[in-house]
Amino acid sequence: MDMLFQFIANGLVSGSFYALSALGLTLIFGLMRVVNFAHGELYMLGGVMGWLTTTVLGLNFFAGLALTILVMGAFGWLADRFLIERVRDQGEEPSILLTIGLSIFLTNTALLLVGTAPLNVEGPLPNKPVFLGPVVLTELRLFAVAACAALILAAHLVIRYTRLGRAMRATFQDAMAARLAGINTARVYASTFALGTILAASAGMLLGSIYSTHVSAGGLVSLKAFVVVILGGMGSFAGAIVGGLILGVAEALWGGYISTGTVDIIGFLIVILTLIFKPYGLFSTQVERA
Amino acid sequence: MTETPINKTLLRVRDLHVAYGKIAALHGVDLDVAEGETVALIGANGAGKSTILRAISGLLKPSRGGIHWDGREIAGLPAEKVVAGGIAHCPEERHVWPAMTVRENLMLGAFLTSSKHRVEERVGMAFHRFPRLRERYKQMAGTLSGGEQQMLAIARALMSEPRLLLLDEPSLGLSPKMADEVFDVVREINGHGVTVLVVEQNVHNALAVASRAYVVETGAISTEADSATLLEDPEVLNAYLGA
Repeated sequence: MDMLFQFIANGLVSGSFYALSALGLTLIFGLMRVVNFAHGELYMLGGVMGWLTTTVLGLNFFAGLALTILVMGAFGWLADRFLIERVRDQGEEPSILLTIGLSIFLTNTALLLVGTAPLNVEGPLPNKPVFLGPVVLTELRLFAVAACAALILAAHLVIRYTRLGRAMRATFQDAMAARLAGINTARVYASTFALGTILAASAGMLLGSIYSTHVSAGGLVSLKAFVVVILGGMGSFAGAIVGGLILGVAEALWGGYISTGTVDIIGFLIVILTLIFKPYGLFSTQVERA
Repeated sequence: MTETPINKTLLRVRDLHVAYGKIAALHGVDLDVAEGETVALIGANGAGKSTILRAISGLLKPSRGGIHWDGREIAGLPAEKVVAGGIAHCPEERHVWPAMTVRENLMLGAFLTSSKHRVEERVGMAFHRFPRLRERYKQMAGTLSGGEQQMLAIARALMSEPRLLLLDEPSLGLSPKMADEVFDVVREINGHGVTVLVVEQNVHNALAVASRAYVVETGAISTEADSATLLEDPEVLNAYLGA
C-alpha cells in the first residue's frame, strides 16, 4: 500500500512535465491549426540550452532558464515567420510535412553539433530527499513540479488577461474580424508559436535537471505530448493538464506493478481507448468557427 | 476659396483592380465618397460589391489602381493600418467572436486604443446607442440572435471611432422589422458625422438610407445616381438589378 502513494507521487511529477510540454502543442494546434511534429525537438533544444547555459557556461539555473526562454522564444518566432507562415491557410498537410522536416533537421543538426552523450542540466537544488508521509521525493523534484505549475499558470494568465492574449483568442475565433479590429494577425501567430516553443523548451530544461537529456529525446516526447493532447482534447488548456497528469500516473502505476520495460505502451493504450470511447477527448473544445 | 466644396471628398477610388488568384473580380472601379455622406453600392449577387469594401479595408490587395483616403494613398496597406487611419469595416455575416462576451467583443473593437479610459468611454457610448447590448453584456456573442449580432458587429466597428464606416449587407438574414432598426442606427451614426459606404442587396433599404448610389455590375461601376432618381426610375433598377 505504501508503494501505491509513492507511485502516484512519482506519476504526478512526470505528469506535470507531460502537461507542460503538451500545453505548448495544444496551444499551437488550438490557435494556429498547425500540428507541430517538431514539438519534441523544441523540448530537446530546451534541454540542450539548459546543458549549455548551466553545465558548459556555468550560469546559475535561473539565469540559464531565463536565457533558454529568451533564445527559444526568438527561435519559435523566427520559425513561424520564415517557415510556418509559408504554409498558413493551406490546410493541415503542408504544415505536417514542414514540421516533420523541421524535426529531422533539428535532431540531426543537434547530433552533429552536440553528439550523442547524455547532457546534464545543473539544478538549483540538491537531490536531497524530502519525506511527505509515506512518500519520498527530492527537493529538486518538488521544485521542478512547482516550476511547471508556475509556467502553466503564467501561460494561462497571458492568454486570459493580457492584450496579446485577447488578440490570440480573437484571431483563433475569427481571424478576419481580428484583422479588421486592427490586430496584426501575423504577429499573433508568431507569438503563439514562440509561446508554445517556450513551454516545450522549459519542460525540456526542467526535466533535464532531474534526469539527464540527450539530443534524440524529441521523438518520444512528441509522441507523449500527442497522447496527452488526444486524451485531453485538441486545443484544450485544462485537457493538457489533466491528460498529462493521467498519463504520468498511469505510467508510474504500470511501471510499479507490471513492468518498467513496457511503460511506453501505456500512451498507445490511452490513445486507442480515447479514440474508441471519447474521440474528441475529455475536454473537447468544439468552438464554433465562423 | 469660393471653389472649395462644402463637403470635401474623403475617399477617392480610381481604376481599382482586384483578382482572386487569376480570376479578376474588379476591373477598373472608380468611386468617390464625400465627408458626411451615406453612399450605397448596389448590384446583383457576385457583382463585386463586397470585394470593393475588402480592397478598401486592406483585406485584399488590389492588383492595380489607387485608393486615396484623406490626403494619402492607402491601396495595399495591411488592414491594421487602414483601421488606424480611421476606416472601419463591418463585414458581411457579422463575424462577431462567438466565444467572447458582448463586452469583450466591444473592447477588442478598440484594440488600437491604448487608453483604458477611452475604451471604457466608448463601451459606455455603445451601450447607450444599443441598449439591448447592455442587457446582454456578459453573454457570449455566439448566443445572440442575428439582429443582436448585427448590432454588436456595428457597435464593434464603431469602437475604433472611424470617420468612414464600411457596412457590408447589414440586413442579411434579418426580419424586416430588425432590418428597419439596423437602418435607423445607420442613419443615426451618419447623423453623428460618420461617413458611411454601405453594400446592400435590398435596393429599397439601401436607397432609403443613402443619398447616392453606385450600381456595380460584373466588377465595374455601371451607373451612379441620386437615390431619388433611381427610386423614380424603376426601369433603371430593373435593367441593372433585375429587381
